Amino acid sequence: MDLPVQQFRTKAEQEFLDLYTRAEKALPGANNPFVAALRDKAIKTYGSLGLPHRRIEAWKYTDLRARLDEVHPLIAALGAAVGESELEAALGKPIADFPGYRLVLVEGELRVDLSDMAGLRDAGAEVASLAHILEMPPDWLKATLGQVNPREDDAVLALNTALMTGGVALRLPEGVTLEKPIHLIHLDGTGAPATMVTRNVVVAEEGASATLLESYGSLGLRGLQRNAVTEVKVGDKAAIHHIKFQREAADTLHLGIWLANLGADARYNAFQLSTGANLVRNQLYVRFDGEGSAMDASGAFLLRGKQHCDTTLIVEHRVPACESRELFKAVLDDEARGIFQGKIIVSPGAQKTDGKQMAQALLLSETAEFDSKPELEIFADDVVCGHGATSGQIDEDLLFYLESRGLPEPQARALLIQAFVGEAFEQVEDEALREAFSVAAAQWLGVPAE
Amino acid sequence: MLEIKNLHASVDGREILKGLDLTLPAGEVHAIMGPNGSGKSTLAYVLAGKEGYEVTEGSITWKGEDLLAMDPSERAAAGVFLAFQYPLEIPGVATMTFLRSAVNAVRKARGEEELSTPDFLRVVKEKAKELKIDVEMLRRPLNVGFSGGEKKRNEILQMALLEPGLCVLDETDSGLDIDALRIVADGVNKLRSKERSMLVITHYQRLLNYIVPDRVHVLSAGRVARSGGPELALELEKSGYAEYGGEATAA
Repeated sequence: MDLPVQQFRTKAEQEFLDLYTRAEKALPGANNPFVAALRDKAIKTYGSLGLPHRRIEAWKYTDLRARLDEVHPLIAALGAAVGESELEAALGKPIADFPGYRLVLVEGELRVDLSDMAGLRDAGAEVASLAHILEMPPDWLKATLGQVNPREDDAVLALNTALMTGGVALRLPEGVTLEKPIHLIHLDGTGAPATMVTRNVVVAEEGASATLLESYGSLGLRGLQRNAVTEVKVGDKAAIHHIKFQREAADTLHLGIWLANLGADARYNAFQLSTGANLVRNQLYVRFDGEGSAMDASGAFLLRGKQHCDTTLIVEHRVPACESRELFKAVLDDEARGIFQGKIIVSPGAQKTDGKQMAQALLLSETAEFDSKPELEIFADDVVCGHGATSGQIDEDLLFYLESRGLPEPQARALLIQAFVGEAFEQVEDEALREAFSVAAAQWLGVPAE
Repeated sequence: MLEIKNLHASVDGREILKGLDLTLPAGEVHAIMGPNGSGKSTLAYVLAGKEGYEVTEGSITWKGEDLLAMDPSERAAAGVFLAFQYPLEIPGVATMTFLRSAVNAVRKARGEEELSTPDFLRVVKEKAKELKIDVEMLRRPLNVGFSGGEKKRNEILQMALLEPGLCVLDETDSGLDIDALRIVADGVNKLRSKERSMLVITHYQRLLNYIVPDRVHVLSAGRVARSGGPELALELEKSGYAEYGGEATAA
């Protein structure tokens, strides 16, 4: 490989390069010139960037380079057994049972034996395993993969492109509306510590609409290092509800990126609920390319112990008359750390932009920490943009009010925490999902669900 | 029966109640009146067990039990109910969910079966109707966007649902227009019974035209300065609280 010279690489930084060198010839699409070129360019980008560290503003609070000591080998697909009981253990009953077109990724590969490919095709969607389709990518995929909202400055994204082993490629042709949500389940495996790199590509053509739930759970693999990217192209008048539920094992490193761009009069609603993993970085990049569109990016994280969850969001208003909303809620106990960084960029000419964001944290212990960093970069003069952040403890007066009505203190406390995150859940349009999330929050709190 | 003996209580190190004695027999309604700062609301919070209201001396027994040894939820289970002067708003908690959690928590603590959802809904609808509360309102978050009158009616609804033995009404008339006051007072009067005691805390005599007390106590500087029949309230209406340390103007 012809890599630019860098003065110093950490062990983990070098190991990613070695991982690529070893795996290169065996990665899906290795024989396809388009895919090979894409990967080659990506590993070079990574090579010149290195792992992100705290002196890079966007990674100020999450020093990945310092926290990553070693890189595990790429996961081997051993065909782990996955039945209903494994799904329930990994995701919890309400999410495991969530009715939808199931697509199941295990050990970095789409398992067609566990997936409802036929159902999706009957409903008018085009769906394929990414590993499979990379061998001979159709034009629509070539025009999408890595093109939805390219970020040349993101080393984690570059690593994903270089090393992606599997995922789902999904196309909703013009006007197709899925009545049932798609449930894209991401599981690990059962073996030794491993790196898992998955990539999903979703294209909603003009007027198409669907709800896509991505859930992440663990089958029992120790020390998973996950890099998961989903690209979503929302065409003119299309609507995508994109939801993430992550409750991976406590020793997991979770690096997630969603990239989206919106055509005209389009709608993109993103929601992310995180309760699992040890170190989480969720990045969400959304770009408006067509006028009259709207997006909502919201979420909640419930953390305890030494969990660290960083949500970083960049919304680019490139055209006039689009609306963006963000509401994130963090519940932090013990020594947990929650981070929200939200950047809204309004390009010159993107007049009549309406952008608002809010981040709120509820600290349940003296040692929990919340960092919020809103950034507005506005280059147009006729816009409405705003942001806010709050951080506080449980309101003792509210607690007393509930206790005086007979609720024992732990129950009163739990109800107030549920109420706090419940406001974020309101952003989820699908009622069954909202309820599943309420149950998940109750489980996290250790109280019976309402 | 509620028995308060030589009650001293402090807030932030400042003594507010200074040797208060009061006996409230079962089935009676007593009014607590007095100027601002005489300790009326402090008494209400001490009865309900609010943190920061520290009892330094004296005792409160309720049905022979030491009320001060109980935490707020245990007091609720034992039948103590405080209708708040300023009911709190809790966004994110549907009123109905809150009501059911409260009713079932209290029932559980009293060793009764929890109410099934249909049974609970039936009871709520019935009681809400008596208080002219629109059931649709109960689907909204607790007290959020409720008018002053709606909040107070919601307090009385909670009182009706929790079936307390001791009702403490803290300035329930504040912020109510005459129509709302009448509805709230009717709701309270319906709950009067031989088993139930009530402590009606008010600055003004007006409320006592609607909820007629058996006894009236005037609080001054943290103690009961004077007790009498309902006529005492009328007298205070004329003379004001001047001789009890309040402002000279009539209420």
